[in-house]
Amino acid sequence: MFYRLSGVHHNSYKSDTKMFPVRTDRNAIIFLLLLGIAAPFLIPSLYLNGYILPWLIWTAAVLGLNLVTGWAGQLHLGYGAIMAVGAYSAVHAARFGIPWEFALLIGGLASSLIGSLFAFTALRVKGLYLALTTLAMQFVMDWVLTHSPAISGGSHASLQAPTFALLGQDITSDAGLYYVAFGWCVLVTIFMLNLKRTGLGRALVAVREKDFAAAILGVNSFYYKVIAFAASSFIAGVTGALLVATFYFLAAPEQFAVNVSIQVLAMVIIGGLGSIIGSYMGAALILLMPGVVNQIFSGVAEFMGLEMGVETLAHIPNAAYGALIVIFLMVEPLGLGKLYANVRDYLMVWPFDQLKK
Amino acid sequence: MDWIFLAELTVNGALTGLLYSLVAIGLVLIYKSSAVPNLAQGALTMLGAYVVLAFSHNLGWPLWIAIPLAVVIMFFVGIGIERVALRRLAGRPIVMILMMTMGLDIFLRGTTLAIWGGSSRSLNLGVSYDPFFVGDMLLSRIHIVGAAVAIAIFIASVLFFRTRMGIRLRAISDDYLASWSVGISVEGGVALSWGLASIVAVATGVIWGEVQGVDQSLSLLLLKGLTVAVLGGLDSILGAIVAGIILGIMESVGSFYLDAIVGGGSRDLIVAAVLILTVMIRPHGLFGRHDIERI
Amino acid sequence: MAQNETNLDDLILSLNSIEVMYDSVLLAIKGVSIGVPRGGMVALLGSNGAGKSTTLKAISGLLKAERGKVSRGDIRFDGKLIGDISPQDRVAMGICHVIEGRRVFEHLTPDENLDAAAPQSMSRRKIASEKERMYEYFPRLADRKSSQSGYLSGGEQQMLAIARALMTQPRLLMLDEPSLGLAPFLVAEIFGIIQRINKEQGLSVLLVEQNAIAALEIVSHGYLIENGRVVMHDTAESLKKNSDIQEFYLGGGEGKNFQDIKHYSRRKRWLS
Repeated sequence: MFYRLSGVHHNSYKSDTKMFPVRTDRNAIIFLLLLGIAAPFLIPSLYLNGYILPWLIWTAAVLGLNLVTGWAGQLHLGYGAIMAVGAYSAVHAARFGIPWEFALLIGGLASSLIGSLFAFTALRVKGLYLALTTLAMQFVMDWVLTHSPAISGGSHASLQAPTFALLGQDITSDAGLYYVAFGWCVLVTIFMLNLKRTGLGRALVAVREKDFAAAILGVNSFYYKVIAFAASSFIAGVTGALLVATFYFLAAPEQFAVNVSIQVLAMVIIGGLGSIIGSYMGAALILLMPGVVNQIFSGVAEFMGLEMGVETLAHIPNAAYGALIVIFLMVEPLGLGKLYANVRDYLMVWPFDQLKK
Repeated sequence: MDWIFLAELTVNGALTGLLYSLVAIGLVLIYKSSAVPNLAQGALTMLGAYVVLAFSHNLGWPLWIAIPLAVVIMFFVGIGIERVALRRLAGRPIVMILMMTMGLDIFLRGTTLAIWGGSSRSLNLGVSYDPFFVGDMLLSRIHIVGAAVAIAIFIASVLFFRTRMGIRLRAISDDYLASWSVGISVEGGVALSWGLASIVAVATGVIWGEVQGVDQSLSLLLLKGLTVAVLGGLDSILGAIVAGIILGIMESVGSFYLDAIVGGGSRDLIVAAVLILTVMIRPHGLFGRHDIERI
Repeated sequence: MAQNETNLDDLILSLNSIEVMYDSVLLAIKGVSIGVPRGGMVALLGSNGAGKSTTLKAISGLLKAERGKVSRGDIRFDGKLIGDISPQDRVAMGICHVIEGRRVFEHLTPDENLDAAAPQSMSRRKIASEKERMYEYFPRLADRKSSQSGYLSGGEQQMLAIARALMTQPRLLMLDEPSLGLAPFLVAEIFGIIQRINKEQGLSVLLVEQNAIAALEIVSHGYLIENGRVVMHDTAESLKKNSDIQEFYLGGGEGKNFQDIKHYSRRKRWLS
């Protein structure tokens, strides 16, 4: 229907390493890019900045975590802490008068530095124990943030971010902020798409599958683990900073607490480990779901004439969020990305699928 | 230095630590049989306390009915969770199993609070709040009761693991395939361990509910329980008790000195530090087993 | 083949051209038919990866733990089809599989290993007397009954694995490579005990072995499996005399070159 192919066949190494081997995919991406650019003219700014912008930023975060968890196979439950490092360093730098371009860079590098510390744990342990250590590091970071007024911004524990500006231009308009988020998300996506095609990406996958087997093949697994953590942390740091600069406008410790780490991991897993398109879908599902569930429940309650307590209504989205994770892992542990891939594989050769058999 | 005061800190720390051991024992029971780190144990604890409350306060039944009833209900809740959610994930990567238990944690917390609300309530076990003096040391009665419950559960588990059913559970934790080959029901054994952990969660919930009130913060005991379980060795019940005492003392004495420097709230920091250091230095904990390497 | 020679009612176990698939794609066994007579001892011979262990797992139901499935053919135990029965229930019916690699419960003592395998319905007194019987068969285990099983020697672990299987009160005992990595005198000792139990209790035994010399000494019939197919079946006596078997599995024969061996192997397949 869309693809009109008999399958993906390569004649040369070059065609095998193309970013989009299927022409329809490339066209679809171009279409989506154009849609992204045109979005401010198509979508009311309430939705643009209330839903699309945070979705893009969280997607960038999910991609970053996917790099270390999905590709390099290292469990990371302290991603929120890494985002916090980037956010706070960047905001402090910006408040100090450093232009935002450099402030973002500082945020990313600071996160990289702290994130690489996590990698040194990954050298020593893996699997469950790595997860527990990173979780504990998240708690340490939470504690440091809430207990040091110098970082978190005094008694109210909130830190106002200076007006966002790039190239000397203040960016305050809704469309402007949206483009910043959009640009960053596209940049991270391109990076991840390209990473797949490089030796680095392949080495990361080798480390994930069996780190000592990779080591025997001459892949320095420690080096690649550090690289994975550092790159992922850089993305996390800049994303955290952008989240504060374009969406929250002030930084507070609870924006990067342990539940944020779990939420990003949930997005990764529901999207599908290692899947780029899945990262977009996972972030969208987890972000949109609480609002939708709330609407449904209050609607149903009204329809049935039930009295629902404020507290009940407040906690139902949480229950639904947990249920979503549980059900997803039960039904399709490989995530939305896998579902998409199934549909795509089917449609790829659709009218000609007798050829496959 | 006031030695009486230090002794008091130590003893109270050890008692609190034994209360952490309760959470840890629940974790160990499940980890031992199926190598699943149950990050929902905190939420189960909270649910256990709320179920007891539902019978004793909402229905007004006496505690001696409410608690056994909650034990029975939670036993089946635990078995149900294993049957519905965990069983089909067997053999999947650990990241999915961890995510599943975290999802369960979020789900159980959300559901509990949606049903019963989040405002803190007291359980009122009837334990007197009058301080209890041993020599010059001032101890809390409920902590002593809780520590006694922890020890009792410890002894019960040790005895249980010597029964035929207990031996089968240990066999399952050793080798799934070999267990199947001699006709042991692996699924049944793992489900049973979830049921037992949920029973322990009721006991934990009741004791902690009395100590700090029944509310969402009960689920935060997970971090302390997890730290105790890891420090003791994730598959050792004895480890859970010993490590509980150690962590309790470190937390109580350490936070007394540290709080003066950092200005309060250093308990969580100590717990997190113990967790990190344990994993870095001795991941299998004090009593956890290395896998046997035969020469 | 085999079934035609013996009356079906005399077989405690019969496999009728079964196929086994792993992961719904990999065909590991292609039409294996074997029969074990009541109270008899039968050996399944063949090289690595021929499909011997897979056959045993198909019989005991342990395939399911490895995502394998019997995709064709039927397995009868005592005349009943057992294809849809869970592994636990097959053990209860009297099939016990001693899996490869002497996987004892390492952190339990030998005594507890035996306890763990006793059927749920067995009385305490019966368990005690059964354990006594095991220690009588395997005196070495009696000496070490309360040390940790993981630290037993290889031979002791194999004995424990067999004793543990006997605790389930099997009528058919399946042994997967019991001689693997053991000194010859231990192999002889273990095989002697198996033979004794077979004679005394009338226990039927299906033995998988690479050590064909030792196996053919104690069994009455042998099947030769290659590439997931039964390529030869005969009494132990005639198998021992067969020149191909001598060539491949008994280390006899007059140094033929590799080409000849290929030729034999082809002929063998045609003949079967």
